[in-house]
Amino acid sequence: MGKKSTNTLVLRIIPYVSILSCLIIWQLIVVLNIVPNTLLASPLQVIKLFIYKLNHTQPDGGLILVHAFVSLKEALIGYVLALLIGIPLGLAMGWFKPIDGLIRPLFEILRPIPPVAWIPLTIFWFGIGLSGKVFIIFLAGLVPVVINSYTGVRMTNPVYIRMARTYGATKWRIFIDVCVPSALPMVFGGLQVALSVSWMTLVAAELIAADSGLGFFITMGQRLLMPDMIILGILMIGLTGVVIGIIVDKVEKRLVAGMWR
Amino acid sequence: MENRTRALKNFKVQCVGISKSFGEGNEKKLILDDINFGVGDEFVVVLGPGQSGKTTLLNLIAGLERPSTGQVFVDGEEVTGPGPDRGLVFQKYTLFPWKTVMGNVEMGLKLSGMSKKERREMASYYIDLVGLKGFENSYPHELSGGMKQRVSIARAYVNKPKVMLLDEPFGQLDAQTRYLMENEIIRIWQAEKRTIIFVTNNIEEAIFLGDRILSLDGKFPGRLKTIYDVDLDRPRDRADTSFLKIRQRITEETMLIL
Amino acid sequence: MAISKIENKTAVKIALLEFLRSKYILYAISLILFIIFWDISAKMNGRFLPRPWAVLMELINGINEPIAGKILIVHLWYSLKRVFIAYAIAIAIGIPIGLLMGYSKLINAWIKPIFDLFKPMPPIAWISLAILWFGIGETSKVFIIVLGAIVPVILNSMNGIRLIDPSLYHAIRMLGGNSRQEILEVTLPASLPAIFAGLQISLSMAWTTVVAAELMGAREGMGFIIIRGMSVSNPAMIVGGMLVIAVTAWLLSVLMTLLERRICPWKTELEH
Repeated sequence: MGKKSTNTLVLRIIPYVSILSCLIIWQLIVVLNIVPNTLLASPLQVIKLFIYKLNHTQPDGGLILVHAFVSLKEALIGYVLALLIGIPLGLAMGWFKPIDGLIRPLFEILRPIPPVAWIPLTIFWFGIGLSGKVFIIFLAGLVPVVINSYTGVRMTNPVYIRMARTYGATKWRIFIDVCVPSALPMVFGGLQVALSVSWMTLVAAELIAADSGLGFFITMGQRLLMPDMIILGILMIGLTGVVIGIIVDKVEKRLVAGMWR
Repeated sequence: MENRTRALKNFKVQCVGISKSFGEGNEKKLILDDINFGVGDEFVVVLGPGQSGKTTLLNLIAGLERPSTGQVFVDGEEVTGPGPDRGLVFQKYTLFPWKTVMGNVEMGLKLSGMSKKERREMASYYIDLVGLKGFENSYPHELSGGMKQRVSIARAYVNKPKVMLLDEPFGQLDAQTRYLMENEIIRIWQAEKRTIIFVTNNIEEAIFLGDRILSLDGKFPGRLKTIYDVDLDRPRDRADTSFLKIRQRITEETMLIL
Repeated sequence: MAISKIENKTAVKIALLEFLRSKYILYAISLILFIIFWDISAKMNGRFLPRPWAVLMELINGINEPIAGKILIVHLWYSLKRVFIAYAIAIAIGIPIGLLMGYSKLINAWIKPIFDLFKPMPPIAWISLAILWFGIGETSKVFIIVLGAIVPVILNSMNGIRLIDPSLYHAIRMLGGNSRQEILEVTLPASLPAIFAGLQISLSMAWTTVVAAELMGAREGMGFIIIRGMSVSNPAMIVGGMLVIAVTAWLLSVLMTLLERRICPWKTELEH
């Protein structure tokens, strides 16, 4: 028993040791010049740059938080649009046969296209501004949202549907009162997938063509040969992605709690 | 303790002073308390309602769990872990889904290092014995519940274990299949006699199958309550008066709801 | 006899009605409407949207007319080659790591936090660093494709081991298996379907990443084709390239499904 509890304690400490030792090794690699500073910046340099970028617009023309905010704004607008259109569409496709029949082929064409492949066409259509970014993120988010909403309705336990039918519920009522609530967990499962796809696509779009945003920040780092900028950009993208994920998770829990009461 | 051990000495399977509890401290829960019995070359049924610890008892004999106190012996050797001298048939089929019927049945022989030709031959014999000839190359997901349990029985039988342990093997089958499988297990057993310990919560099944019935208490901790000898000729008739008499007696004494 | 005849007749009638209302008719209508709509919008807005016919011609021309020195199929081959090299590396590294993480809590405690730290960073974000390190050549592309493809491989291999039904271990132990046989006969085959699911996600991720990488600096490949189409203002080239990319993605996923059926024929059980 004693051995067991020390074991769990060790297992709880190791993750911190692991991350800490990685940071130290990383720092040492740069300090000892194993990898030259022109190729890799140390963690401390990255932190220093982050603090500097909090209130300096040099050398890329924007504060780091402004870049993050620009990316966040683009991502959220496109994402919310994808939800507003994708969820009802997917749910309806799952329940109403004619809608399924008419929309599905188009969807099957859209589905295998990697969202990043839309970037050139989008830039060609909209230029490098906000609307183009929103459009790409919308497309990227739409596919998983529709698929999950569709599957959610399809997976409704047929017993519930039959029961509702014996009570004389109309097709529409069954859809609203039975299928939609039971599809919700699946719908929300799709939201997280959609989010990570959208975020990744946005980064790609910003790397290729943008005048602000975190992807643009990274590109500037590459042009200026400043590895600390690139790494800071990557870290900020990861961090912002996590933050959005948490927000979506919170909203999701609220909604589920509200709807299933 | 000494006396008990001596009294159980001649039995193939001996459970001596077994108790089992799970959890620690305040959470600690006694599941089985002071269980003593022996099983010879016979068909013994352990009868008990849900939550009486009967599956735990079987797992202790199987060696999948260790008793908190007491010991289990099979052929005079203490059980310290799982092993092929005991054949276990699980309630939830537990076949290897990536193996065909043949692959499942021959698994024990393969693990013991038997040559492919030899084990194929032996496995075929037992697949035939349990009535699955022709299904050798089917995968478990293609079989019905009853057929899966036949595979499971063959898989345990082929290892020639000293004792067969069956944990509510027909609990997930529909009534019709269940009756059929009860007849089948008797047929298989009579074709090749083994010591069998069969766990069930069904009184009728217990009387139909068992030479003896060990009945466990209904509440935690499970205690051994009564041992019934069932002196009926096989095949037994579930509607026979003597059958019904035993059934009534057990029902009254166990407060089981039928 | 007579009854069955009547039944037959109604059955035919019902089948015919069903067919007319069936999804296939709807599918056909949908596709035809889509192409008509596309054509009309392209006609009105020719500078931005190519007509379906023009896209088809562009693809046919691509068969023997080189774009930037290489014909279409060679561009496709370059993309595929990058994917396959990176995919092989991702599998060779990812499966062992994932299996070890699933198998040992200790190893998991060391690797998981680092893995969790890297996971939210999209692989594409690494491209600038990769270019800084390796230049614009093949290495930097393969590097970020590996980054993209390895995550699902690791995750699924890990979960594949974690989610094995413990009673299967009980079963193999009761049949006399030792710990080496336990790994060979239960752990590996039981985690195979999950690993395979990971490989499938991973391949589509690799395909996405290669397109992204080629958008950002390449002289060949499908990503290069569409970005080239953009810079020379040839929408037919962009849309044609997208079509090839989509069809390839689809073919790759079909290929994986077929392979899966070959390797895990028992997996149907999990899908029911």
